[in-house]
Amino acid sequence: MATQTEQHDLSELLSRVANRDRTAFVVVYQRSAAKLFGVALRILRQRELAEEAVQESYLRIWRNAGRYDRAQASPIAWMAAITRNQAIDLTRRRAERIAKASVGIDEPVFDRAAAEAFSQLSDNQIGGDPDRLRHCLEGLPPDRRTMVVQAYCAGLSREELARDMAKPVNTVKTQLRRTLASLKRCLDGET
Amino acid sequence: MERHEPNEDRDGLAAEYVLGTLDAEERAEAERLIAADPQFAAEVSTWESRLAPLALTAESAEPPAEMLGRILERIDDVRPSDSSTVVRLNRRVRIWQTTTAAAAALAAALALAIVFADRPPELQERYVAALQADGETPAFVAIVDLAQGTISVRQVGAEAPEPGRSYELWAVGGGREQPQSLGVVDAAARVPIMLLNGERGSLGQTMLAVSLEPEGGSPTGQPTGPVLFTGQLVPAE
Repeated sequence: MATQTEQHDLSELLSRVANRDRTAFVVVYQRSAAKLFGVALRILRQRELAEEAVQESYLRIWRNAGRYDRAQASPIAWMAAITRNQAIDLTRRRAERIAKASVGIDEPVFDRAAAEAFSQLSDNQIGGDPDRLRHCLEGLPPDRRTMVVQAYCAGLSREELARDMAKPVNTVKTQLRRTLASLKRCLDGET
Repeated sequence: MERHEPNEDRDGLAAEYVLGTLDAEERAEAERLIAADPQFAAEVSTWESRLAPLALTAESAEPPAEMLGRILERIDDVRPSDSSTVVRLNRRVRIWQTTTAAAAALAAALALAIVFADRPPELQERYVAALQADGETPAFVAIVDLAQGTISVRQVGAEAPEPGRSYELWAVGGGREQPQSLGVVDAAARVPIMLLNGERGSLGQTMLAVSLEPEGGSPTGQPTGPVLFTGQLVPAE
């Protein structure tokens, strides 16, 4: 898992990438591509789509390295956020492919890896406050925690969550909003 | 009935945007707000930070070897006939100009590149690359000579690799599926190497890279060690 020193190096490298340093960019790629590909795969579950998301992410990293702010986030967290956004943008294509492949309507879309994700939060992670996040997630009712984790880690839509949890879509939306609001209060230290 | 404060709605929008559960219309609206409203953008950023540790629990997976090459091709901002190329080369010469003969030789090579940079790719007979790390003194200079069918590489900076290790030269990008090995680069002297594979028109999109490998070169045919120096091929006379 990434160490503080490595994150500092990545910060340094990103500031060089902002100055069009291609070698620094290659090193950034070498150190992060496997993690970013894993993030995209967990959401898209198809290599071709995940490749597209990651390639697009590195183009954005190259273009926007100058906007990276080390006070806001660790380098790998910043890059993972870019990758998640690219992957979410492609989830509609994933849904179309799944529909074409006639996945059974009973088949749960829940990803086992995503379900365990929150239990893997440890203080080796770099990016935000993992212990606090874990504590706040543990404080949620299990079905609400599942919704948040499955949406965030596996890229499930409200419709997919609704189907798998046997709830109406509007209920999912309302419950998500309430859960996120209470998560925020916990994370910001207001509870 | 619960009344939603506008702030709650906005924060909910930011949170669900980061979560990824907004529908297409809401997502487009959120993206508009991110661009137009710094406060909303900050809320989104805060949500990213709150949830980031969860994103990083994803298990790493090796992407295909050719992905780096594909990305490098698309970030290519050095085009043979682009005037920005001339500015970039000029800046490089100024930064590391020294009194050594090697640096003078490179300056001459790059000066040639500046003069003839606007010839069409198919008429280019020679390409040069300055391979460097961190934007300082180049470690290697490479000259591709299509007429002679050679790539000459000269070490102009950098230390010799530690015992048991070798520098190996690679061609990356330019339509290549994977990096092409151009052989071990001897620390001491210039090494003539056989011509690159690939279309001559793609040389302007090719990058040369030097990695640190076990002595004698990579045992796998692909880079196994860290890439230390890179340089884009640009047209010379």
